[in-house]
Amino acid sequence: MNLFKIVTKNMRQRALATTLTGISVALAVALTVAIVHIKRGMQQRFEQSTLGYEMVVGAKGSPLQLVLNTVFNLDISPGNIPWTLVEKLQTDKRVKAAVPFSVGDNYRGFRIIGTTDAFGETFGYKLAEGRWFTCSIEALRDAFKEALEHSQERIAKEKGEGPTKPAAHHHNAAEAVIGATVAKETGLRVGQKFIAAHGVEVSPNAEEHTDNPWTVTGILVPTGTAVDRGLYINLDSFYHIEGHEVRETGKPEEKDNDPDPGQVSAVALKLRSPIHAFPIYREINDGDEAMAAFPAVEVRKLFAIVGNIDRILLAQAILIGLVAGVAIAVSIYNSMSERRREIAILRALGARRGTIFAIVVLEAVAICAVGAIVGVAGGHLIVMVANAALRHVSGFTVAPLTMEMAELWVVAGSIALGALAGIGPAWRAYQTEVAENLAPTS
Amino acid sequence: MENAVLNLREVRKSYREADGNRLDVIQVRKFELGAGDQIALVGSSGSGKSTLLNLIAGILLPDAGAVCVNGTDITQLPEAKRDRFRAGNIGYVFQSFNLLQGFTALENVRLGQMFGNGTGDAVELLKKVGLEHRLHHKPRALSVGEQQRVAIARALVNAPALVLADEPTGSLDAANGAAVLELLRQVCTAGRHTLLMVTHDPAVMRHFDRVVRLEELR
Repeated sequence: MNLFKIVTKNMRQRALATTLTGISVALAVALTVAIVHIKRGMQQRFEQSTLGYEMVVGAKGSPLQLVLNTVFNLDISPGNIPWTLVEKLQTDKRVKAAVPFSVGDNYRGFRIIGTTDAFGETFGYKLAEGRWFTCSIEALRDAFKEALEHSQERIAKEKGEGPTKPAAHHHNAAEAVIGATVAKETGLRVGQKFIAAHGVEVSPNAEEHTDNPWTVTGILVPTGTAVDRGLYINLDSFYHIEGHEVRETGKPEEKDNDPDPGQVSAVALKLRSPIHAFPIYREINDGDEAMAAFPAVEVRKLFAIVGNIDRILLAQAILIGLVAGVAIAVSIYNSMSERRREIAILRALGARRGTIFAIVVLEAVAICAVGAIVGVAGGHLIVMVANAALRHVSGFTVAPLTMEMAELWVVAGSIALGALAGIGPAWRAYQTEVAENLAPTS
Repeated sequence: MENAVLNLREVRKSYREADGNRLDVIQVRKFELGAGDQIALVGSSGSGKSTLLNLIAGILLPDAGAVCVNGTDITQLPEAKRDRFRAGNIGYVFQSFNLLQGFTALENVRLGQMFGNGTGDAVELLKKVGLEHRLHHKPRALSVGEQQRVAIARALVNAPALVLADEPTGSLDAANGAAVLELLRQVCTAGRHTLLMVTHDPAVMRHFDRVVRLEELR
């Protein structure tokens, strides 16, 4: 027989009140754990995804939209930038690598991104199996020319003129390297073909590019980043698709004689030294044709905004916890009238006032501790369930079973709350008169 | 008396009444019990018998006087030490048993042991009082006679020098009362525990060689 056994017996005797108050603690802890876990997990995923992407350059507009689109395969592209700018950046001595991206299609909801074979090497993405796609600058230039001819042909048709004779062009095979999640969820394997649908999201009315199937040549090692959810194709093949003519926006007739009609959605830069970052950033942003953004800065800004919502949710969870604490205090306090005789018996058997005080405080602590442990498990369960929604919204999921240091603090806080809630009832128990409560009952 | 287990000297206890006057409940000039004594303390209803037992147990403190148990004046001990002393040296059997309802018979006995740091064998004691088949039953599953047997086992688990019994047969029928009384006297005789039993029942008094009226102690 020990104090804990007495506490357990008391809790069992008040099973309903114990369970209900324990549930409110568990609810508060579960919410807190889920909020902390999801926020930390998402921030880690986002920050992890920006590694290597020192700067991105795209059409003028929202820097956050540009970063979300280029680095995280989210949102829509803010527009296009001219290929000449890509070439200019690729030959800039301060730039170690400039990797272009073009987006606009999807395969079963996963984005298709046209890029060059420098993509894997520049950002350190390794192949789990297969090989990288073939991509050459000659093929890309040819693709731009061909795309321009398609545009001119379409314009001529619209004007009622006869078809122009297309020139012969060099075509690389349409090939793709796919992310680990894409491979897992679509079942695509090396050597298999897939057909893209127009648009970056699944739509029942989306036009399918049935004449341009891509062959999977490689599958990437899982990275835990947005790359896992992308299908990376050779950039030239992107422009072979009808509808991917080089001027998706603007007025075609104004650009008919454009000597370099190539356009891409964005370009990601790796610099030779961090000291070049701000000069390049200023040069690009001072110009008219593009905008530069630092992914790490934009992610921090995003989470600063998310952090405010997060704090409101946390405040709500803490409030639920406090209400639970008050409920425990009230429930045990009220039970004291029924338990005065038991307390008097324990005192008559030799229990000191301090022991009685400790028994009541321990009871409140035990309710909170058990509630907190159940709450931590519940929090992880919420993360598991929320992962489906998170994947839909952000493309990321959070590992549901990893433990955060913050969770230990939440458990410790709950135990402290229990101790605090137990003080009032324990003081009442402490003051119980022994002799008058031992008298025989009728 | 040398080596008295219980020694009361000039003990007084009064209560303040609603009208502000003080009501003297206990006035004991001298009262001593030796090791192994078995005494019935009688008095009319409301005469302060239970109050005297609570004073001897250290549950109440007298306004004046000394209450010595095994040579220790418990009125001089701080409350926490008095509680510990009570657990180790005094067994208390109540009229209404005062068992904890959420605990089994064995657990109730072990509760007594826990606070007194006793090393006695709770199971063996319950066997002695004839409850070996009821160890894991809760009080509500026991008859009133069985409940009082559990209370006796609990009072004796720390092998106390002094056993106080406050009308232990008061809630029992005649047959059960006689059996419980006989049991209590037997185990106290066997363990040389000093027994002070409060009663107003003449049938109970007849079992004792020495009967003391509370009024005689003034």
